[in-house]
Amino acid sequence: MERKQEERVGESLTLPNLSQSKPAVNQRSKMTEFVRRKALQILPSVTLFVVFFGAWELILRLADIAPFIFPKPSDIVVAAQGNWVNLLGAAQATTTGALAGFAISTVLAISMAIILSLSKWIEKSVYPYIVILQTIPIVAVIPIIVIWFGAGIQSIIIVVFLISFFPILTNTLIGLNSTDQNMKNLFYLYNASRFQTIFKLRIPAALPYIVAGLKISCTLAFIGAIVGEYMAGIGGAEGGLGQAITVAATRLETPYLFACGLTASLLSVTVYQIVTKLSERMLSSWHESEMK
Amino acid sequence: MERQIMTRISSQAEAAAATGIDRHHPQNLVELKNIDKVYPNGTVAVERANLDIAENEFFCFVGPSGCGKSTIFNMITGLTEHTGGELSVLGTESKEARKENEIAFVFQEPTLLPWNNLLENVSLPLKLRKVPKKQRHEEGERVLELVGLKDYTKSLPSQLSGGMKMRVSIARALISRPKLLLMDEPFGALDEFTRQSLQDELLRIWSQDQRMTVLFITHNVFEAVYLSSQVVVMTPSPGRISDVIQIDEPFPRGENFRVAPSFSQYVQSVTSSLEH
Repeated sequence: MERKQEERVGESLTLPNLSQSKPAVNQRSKMTEFVRRKALQILPSVTLFVVFFGAWELILRLADIAPFIFPKPSDIVVAAQGNWVNLLGAAQATTTGALAGFAISTVLAISMAIILSLSKWIEKSVYPYIVILQTIPIVAVIPIIVIWFGAGIQSIIIVVFLISFFPILTNTLIGLNSTDQNMKNLFYLYNASRFQTIFKLRIPAALPYIVAGLKISCTLAFIGAIVGEYMAGIGGAEGGLGQAITVAATRLETPYLFACGLTASLLSVTVYQIVTKLSERMLSSWHESEMK
Repeated sequence: MERQIMTRISSQAEAAAATGIDRHHPQNLVELKNIDKVYPNGTVAVERANLDIAENEFFCFVGPSGCGKSTIFNMITGLTEHTGGELSVLGTESKEARKENEIAFVFQEPTLLPWNNLLENVSLPLKLRKVPKKQRHEEGERVLELVGLKDYTKSLPSQLSGGMKMRVSIARALISRPKLLLMDEPFGALDEFTRQSLQDELLRIWSQDQRMTVLFITHNVFEAVYLSSQVVVMTPSPGRISDVIQIDEPFPRGENFRVAPSFSQYVQSVTSSLEH
């Protein structure tokens, strides 16, 4: 907020342009400052990472617990190295399923939200059924999906779609319905068409909500992919992390099971970070949620 | 510019009738004849409002909250329908008049699109009319210069102060060179210094335009007297136009008018009219 105040241009029109009055800053010291700031930003999370995994390793070593009961971080690393090819193939398969399902749900959920927002009548008649669809447990739906579409990537994508569709739809719809009334009046008074009001006002104004939905759904997409692979996947290298986890669990390869779980988490966090960066890019210049 | 003050509202219609001027001739930009607005729950927002608004006038609507000032604006713009009487805007119905792109609006909030820069914001009305980009940007630069912001075309609204945002809002209203400018408490949220500065700018722009009529809502009696050629005094429960007071002072006005004895007399006159 303070920074925002500083950035504001003064009321007086005789004030010089701020960009002209800035002193020339040494490029190198600017770079050093940037690195220092970034280091300070990540320091707390790196410290926590080291403390957490260090304590985990230390306690299990001292307690001398068997790796198939509770593996140490070093056991997990060894298991991941030993199954590197399988793990990579599984991660690729899971990522493909998750991203494909996420992309489809993004497009369909935003389109559906726009349609629902056009008329209260449509929203009131259709939305309850979407809510009902969401409340049916996904594990009850997966067998039906497998019966209809067969085991494999197509069913996994459908599972991902079903899991990640609802948060994007709900958030987008709330965003589209939250447009400032004065803004809507302004567009009405300037004779804007319905198309113009949607694309030049309501969708841009709903972007923060849409992005919030995407952030929730992108992590759900990986959960959906793994659950899908677990129940509707096929065996072998194309089975994905869900299948790898199933196999590791039945063979009591607990360290590899942990490696699969952590890989899934890493993938999910990576996609979340990409969506977050995208959000910063789109909103940082004008929306409070992304202003630094 | 020396501006001759028009005769009192009540006598305008008589003069028009005497000279045989067509009632729907755009010389009277807005005509309210026994206008009522009753909401479905029975609340009477406006009752028997009569008012003729001629070209090149500056009307201030003053009155307490709930006296129907904004309702009259909403009826003029077509945002809400009147339930009784006759309303003519630019010689036609309000919804039709709006389509002629001769009416512009400034709200209490600047209502700028935060994701667009100032040039895009002020040229929005032209964009919605599908005016080519080059032309609308030329017009955008013209109006930003008019409000003293020509160096900030690429700035975003979040980088501006409240007063500057309101200037942008005024610039956006001016871009379509309107005949009728409606301003609903535009300076209500600003500090006194900024408010006075914007009052002077608004009067300067209006004086230069020579054809624009401004309808301006305010709670502030001092602001109403300083700005207007006519002050429309409204009283609540139900909302009525209780008086129309002519401010018989030449334009341009400045600090001299604010401290003149006549200013205090006009303020007193409007205030006592509000109290009755």
